[in-house]
Amino acid sequence: MIQVEHLTKEYKRVLRREGFLGSVRTLFSAQYETIPAVNDLSFRIDEGELVGYIGPNGAGKSTSIKMLCGILVPTSGHVEVNGLIPHKERMKNTRQIGAVFGQKTQLWWDVPVIESLRLFRDIYKVPEAQYKHNLNLFNELLDLHEFQNTPVRQLSLGQRLRADMAAALLHNPRLLFLDEPMIGVDVVAKERLRNFIHEINRDQKVTILLTTHDMVDIEKVCSRIMIIDKGRIVYDGTLDQIRAQYGKQRKLVVEFEEETQDFSAPNATLVKSEGRKKWFAFNRFETSPSTLIADISSRYPILDLAVEEPEIEEIVRTIYQGKQETLATETK
Amino acid sequence: MYGMRWVWTTLYTQRPGAFGVSLQQMVTYGVLSMAIENLFYTGPQYYMARQVRSGAIDVDLLKPLDFHFHMLARSTGETLFRIIVMVLPAMLVGYYLLDLQLPATSQAGFLFAVAISLGYLVNFHLDFMLGSIGLVTLEVTSIDWAFHATARFFSGQLIPLWLFPGALGALAEVLPFRSIFSTPLSIYTGVLHGSAITQAIGLQLLWLIILLMLSRWLWGRVQTRIVSQGG
Repeated sequence: MIQVEHLTKEYKRVLRREGFLGSVRTLFSAQYETIPAVNDLSFRIDEGELVGYIGPNGAGKSTSIKMLCGILVPTSGHVEVNGLIPHKERMKNTRQIGAVFGQKTQLWWDVPVIESLRLFRDIYKVPEAQYKHNLNLFNELLDLHEFQNTPVRQLSLGQRLRADMAAALLHNPRLLFLDEPMIGVDVVAKERLRNFIHEINRDQKVTILLTTHDMVDIEKVCSRIMIIDKGRIVYDGTLDQIRAQYGKQRKLVVEFEEETQDFSAPNATLVKSEGRKKWFAFNRFETSPSTLIADISSRYPILDLAVEEPEIEEIVRTIYQGKQETLATETK
Repeated sequence: MYGMRWVWTTLYTQRPGAFGVSLQQMVTYGVLSMAIENLFYTGPQYYMARQVRSGAIDVDLLKPLDFHFHMLARSTGETLFRIIVMVLPAMLVGYYLLDLQLPATSQAGFLFAVAISLGYLVNFHLDFMLGSIGLVTLEVTSIDWAFHATARFFSGQLIPLWLFPGALGALAEVLPFRSIFSTPLSIYTGVLHGSAITQAIGLQLLWLIILLMLSRWLWGRVQTRIVSQGG
């Protein structure tokens, strides 16, 4: 469905000199620096997948999605979306994809939602029967009828995103790009959107690429995640794989009866301390929790105990911070 | 519009016969040029600059629409709206209060409609090219100001082109800007007739084709350079 090989996109930025004279000089002889937003990126997405696309701000997620949409032209490399090269056949490509950019709306600002959708129907030449069918579906799943006569500028963020989602799917695209589609929405609206994304993928077999900063989104809906940083893929695999690969660390939370200054436990390191509550990190393949607990409790009186599994968010944070190598070697 | 009429009336009282046409023709020319100028303020350049600055150009390009025709449709929609709410009322006021003459013949009226449509398209393409440049520079206001000051002078909006002296007049005759005001207004007032009309409309068409091709070419170049701002 999507094939990306050695994709690179560079931006040029003018290096400005300081001061007034500097500005004048910049005007006549500008020096540029080249910033690679996407750097030798390669991946493949097959039909029907729901892939979480994550990475820190400025990692190149949006830039690569824009290239998949045909909005931006790559500096080098190969992109193919469902057999088309997006920037060469932008109009043809945009007919077969749908996209929601959470920070921008594609609806017309001053026009009621339903009028915007009618305009989309005409632009994409959606047959009347399909239009009606989809509208019913959106009413059922997104409660579109609640605000369909409201101008877009008066919608709440959650409503606007629901309307944008409907607009993106009106022409039954086989591929959907969601670039932070839930940014700034409350928990209830978020849950609805998540369910909607999940259902669209499951029932209509729409291939989805979802960008988000919320790891709960990833855990709830995605089957596969791709982590990108500095324009490159740093991880690509299923959620279970990432847990198995990076989640070898467990944490033991111990609450002691009295305040004690120096704690030590064999094969475990103190990672966090809050009064009498201490967090110890250990490798679950080297040290068994029971040995550790036995050891600690034989030396100190204990009030409470718990073993914490690493959250996906923490794993991702570790990967972002570039510690994946150290973690991987530690756990070998 | 009233000021325009007043200026020409005063000038005619002082130097009758200096301007080559009758006072009534001249007043019609001046008043009409004020009435129709609103048609030409609907170019896409500010929209394009705004969209690229805010990054919303992404959403325009996400639609399966040819961007150039998309902009043409946007501008034309606004122009039609302006005809109804601004130009027609202004022409009615001009007709009843300011000596605005009707076209001499119905044929002249029809050719005026053709010429003003072509003038509108010529103006649109000039603005579209300005907007395309603005997509790269991210700023269009000052270029737009300088460009339109020049364009308006050479379009004969204020001073009819037949009053331009020698070389300046010859230059104005061949530039595309006369298509915008001078050609339609001269047809309406009857200053142009016979084969001169055909020639003037032919020149409009020629410029339109040239500008259309230039626009397509420029847009093609600019599109690959778009750097979407923000997010």
